Amino acid sequence: MSNPYIPFASEIKAIIPHTAIEYTFRMGYVGEVHPGQFFEVSIPKYGEAPISVSGIGPDYVDLTIRRVGRVTNEIFTYQPGRTLLMRGPYGNGFRTADYAGRELVIVAGGTGVSPVKAVIDYFGTHPQEVASLTVIAGFKSPADILFKEDIARWESQMNLIVTVDQSEDPAYRTGLVTKYIPDLTFSQLSKAAAIVVGPPVMMKFAVAELKKLGITDEQIWISQERKMCCGLGKCGHCRMGDAYICLDGPVFNYTEGKKLLD
Amino acid sequence: MGNLWNTAAAARLLARLKETYDVYAPIRFPGSGCYSDTDTVRYGQPDSFEEIVWDKKSDYSFKETLLPISDTILYFTESDTRLPEPKKPRLIFLRACELNALKRLDEMYLHNGPADSYYQQVRSKAKFILMGCDRSFPSCFCVSMGTNKAQGYDGYAHLSGQELYLEFTDASLLSYTEGLEAPAASQEVAYVTDGQEPVPIPEHLPEDIALNPLWKEYSGRCIGCGRCNFVCPTCTCFTMQDIFYRDNDQAGERRRVWASCQVDGYSDIAGGISFRKDQGERMRFKVLHKVYHYKNRFGYHMCVGCGRCEEVCPEYISYIGCLHKLAETGGEAYE
Amino acid sequence: MYLDINTKKLKKNAFRVSKNRGETASRVRVPGGKCSAQVLQQVADIAQEYGNGSVHLTTRQGFEIEGISLADVDKVNERLQPIIEAMEINQETPGKGYPASGTRNVSACIGNRVCPFGNYNTAAFAKRIEDAIFPNDLHFKIALTGCANDCIKARMHDFGIIGMTLPQYDPSRCVACNACVKGCDQLSVDALRMENYKIVRNEEKCVGCGVCVTKCPTRAWTRSQKKYYRLTIMGRTGKRNPRLGEDFLVWADEDTIIKVILNTYRFVKEYIDPKAPGGKEHVGYIIDRVGFTEFKKWALEGVELPPETIVKDCVYWSGIHYR
Repeated sequence: MSNPYIPFASEIKAIIPHTAIEYTFRMGYVGEVHPGQFFEVSIPKYGEAPISVSGIGPDYVDLTIRRVGRVTNEIFTYQPGRTLLMRGPYGNGFRTADYAGRELVIVAGGTGVSPVKAVIDYFGTHPQEVASLTVIAGFKSPADILFKEDIARWESQMNLIVTVDQSEDPAYRTGLVTKYIPDLTFSQLSKAAAIVVGPPVMMKFAVAELKKLGITDEQIWISQERKMCCGLGKCGHCRMGDAYICLDGPVFNYTEGKKLLD
Repeated sequence: MGNLWNTAAAARLLARLKETYDVYAPIRFPGSGCYSDTDTVRYGQPDSFEEIVWDKKSDYSFKETLLPISDTILYFTESDTRLPEPKKPRLIFLRACELNALKRLDEMYLHNGPADSYYQQVRSKAKFILMGCDRSFPSCFCVSMGTNKAQGYDGYAHLSGQELYLEFTDASLLSYTEGLEAPAASQEVAYVTDGQEPVPIPEHLPEDIALNPLWKEYSGRCIGCGRCNFVCPTCTCFTMQDIFYRDNDQAGERRRVWASCQVDGYSDIAGGISFRKDQGERMRFKVLHKVYHYKNRFGYHMCVGCGRCEEVCPEYISYIGCLHKLAETGGEAYE
Repeated sequence: MYLDINTKKLKKNAFRVSKNRGETASRVRVPGGKCSAQVLQQVADIAQEYGNGSVHLTTRQGFEIEGISLADVDKVNERLQPIIEAMEINQETPGKGYPASGTRNVSACIGNRVCPFGNYNTAAFAKRIEDAIFPNDLHFKIALTGCANDCIKARMHDFGIIGMTLPQYDPSRCVACNACVKGCDQLSVDALRMENYKIVRNEEKCVGCGVCVTKCPTRAWTRSQKKYYRLTIMGRTGKRNPRLGEDFLVWADEDTIIKVILNTYRFVKEYIDPKAPGGKEHVGYIIDRVGFTEFKKWALEGVELPPETIVKDCVYWSGIHYR
């Protein structure tokens, strides 16, 4: 009988700092994995933390980790070459096929950029697979901006809007992500598709703005972040209504996603 | 066909069974109640069949015999990860409602996502003895839930007066009775069919039931102690804990412990976000799971109508009362 | 018609010398403050037939039947007989009322018959003490309270008995819900903390109130099978030096407490000032005179303390000194 709770060891190949408390850990991993899926990352005796996949390579996955607790504090003391324990990937993740040929808009806020980053990367490097790609990424302040190097690359690959809530620095666009949604245009509204990921309030208002443009529920996907202890549909913490985020999500088409209530 | 067991023969049978099994049944723990000079009836390992409590519903359900309250799942040393020893097979005495609850535990632990190996290890070797119910206890509403009858047991037990009737339907259990003197007898399984106040079980609820103001009332009443979840035979949530041993920080363990959706922290994620801060929302989350969302997913209700949550609430929040209120909101939508 | 009353005997018989000439009041003991509704009815009958219809509920949980004619004392004593018998009060001569009044009614909070916080049956223990000490003319005040909340104000008595439980922790039943830690902090002395998702109890700090047990949703915390008590001594009200009683014994058992009280009666008989007005000298003032060390020697004589009992080496009282 296989034991789904036994983690495997994975080597830290590289660490990419973004902010004072957010680093990407590039972890050795070979196997099927989709953007938006997550791993339970652990250090024995400290605990496990669910971390979403922010990048996918041939022999690695990127896990962008925010230092906010006992486990992640300890992870941040680790250097490349050491190993972390992982189990997963869990959840459905984003399927790039869902967006093929669409005029894709990705709206992401804060750490919500992590689960969609691999989607952005994918279509950034496979522009022919979508009709158009617009990314609106919002952060609290310039100091909170994640994936700066990637953003520099994305500038040339897509229509990119990076905004911060507030800044005195004229180099940055300011305002919430919702401010930039009304300006979006689509050549063919029926081909539009939108991915919205971020804090619950941000998702709610971003979806409302998208719908004002005439985008329907079927054209919107969201990713829900909830407490995950097991990733296996057992512990119950991630349940919303009749859905287990770890099994049925975290990515939901909005036709389903809108029914989910905490 | 079964047998009637006198004290001496029953003692010999129990001793034989204990060679193979950890025998669990509802027993009395004197003085261990919440208040002084009160007892708790919960699952433990009886030293004799006489210790089994028949005249009262156990305060806590059988679920702790399969899902320990605090269960170590991995042991860590400096360089190594080790699994706990497999648990000894269990022989569990339980009532019809709880045998129905077992199906719910199986649903979660074996079928919702990959099978849970720890549960499976204990479950696959467990035998279940159905305890006949002659009458209903306070707050029981198994008849309304359709869980007054049960299937899939390995034996049946019934006590009337001093007379213990035991019938093993499982062939391997039957072998333990060989050579013991107990007169043969035959009894029908005792089920409760009447004498309970019917509880309306909503079959269809309005889609916006979560937004109904009825939940607000609980915000100020519930203290979030989680007793309703901990006594429930169908609540299965747990939380993972990793620890260092105090006397050797190179070693430690990972364990899982029961969790309650009513207790603070249940829905908290990193960064200080909590999804249901309000006790009214938590009550809604729990109740709708029991009689709505679970059924949407699995096709039958989660609640088995044991009424333990009703009995245990220190604030007299009535789950049955809540079901009545739900029935009122449904109007004609109810069957 | 003349009234020739021996007031000393009258008072000893639990009747009061009233401010109203020719009138008295009958004082009915209710050990532990628990009596049957029938007794209540009998008290009411006496008040209506022999009194003025009023009954005062005393601070010591007795009844004081007001407005009784001094001429009716014997008849009232006859009528008190069923009450005395119902409450099984030690008596010398049936039909003659209470044989003593110096040692006051042993009072108690409602305890664990009703109160969720109560750590024992206060009325039952009160009755046990009453049986051991009554009748006695020495002026002792004893009160029992179910938990450290001390609703009966046991600390204002010569002997205050405060119920305790030694909480028993089963880590295998603990879900780290924190209810006990929060409860202890908010309602008691903050003696619990979480370590490694399990609870650590500060044994020095814990007052044995049992809040952790009542808060625990999984029976990880339970009460000790053995019941424990804190014995506070020599609290008092009064003109000279009102003060709160101080801890003498902590984690003591019932037998010890009864022995200590009986020993204290012996101590008082030995040391009471023979010239004290009315033969009354409060035990607290006697200890003030002869010293705590001497009292302790007497109080613990022949007492075999349970190993877990803490005995205070020295006890210092404070309070207000008016003299």
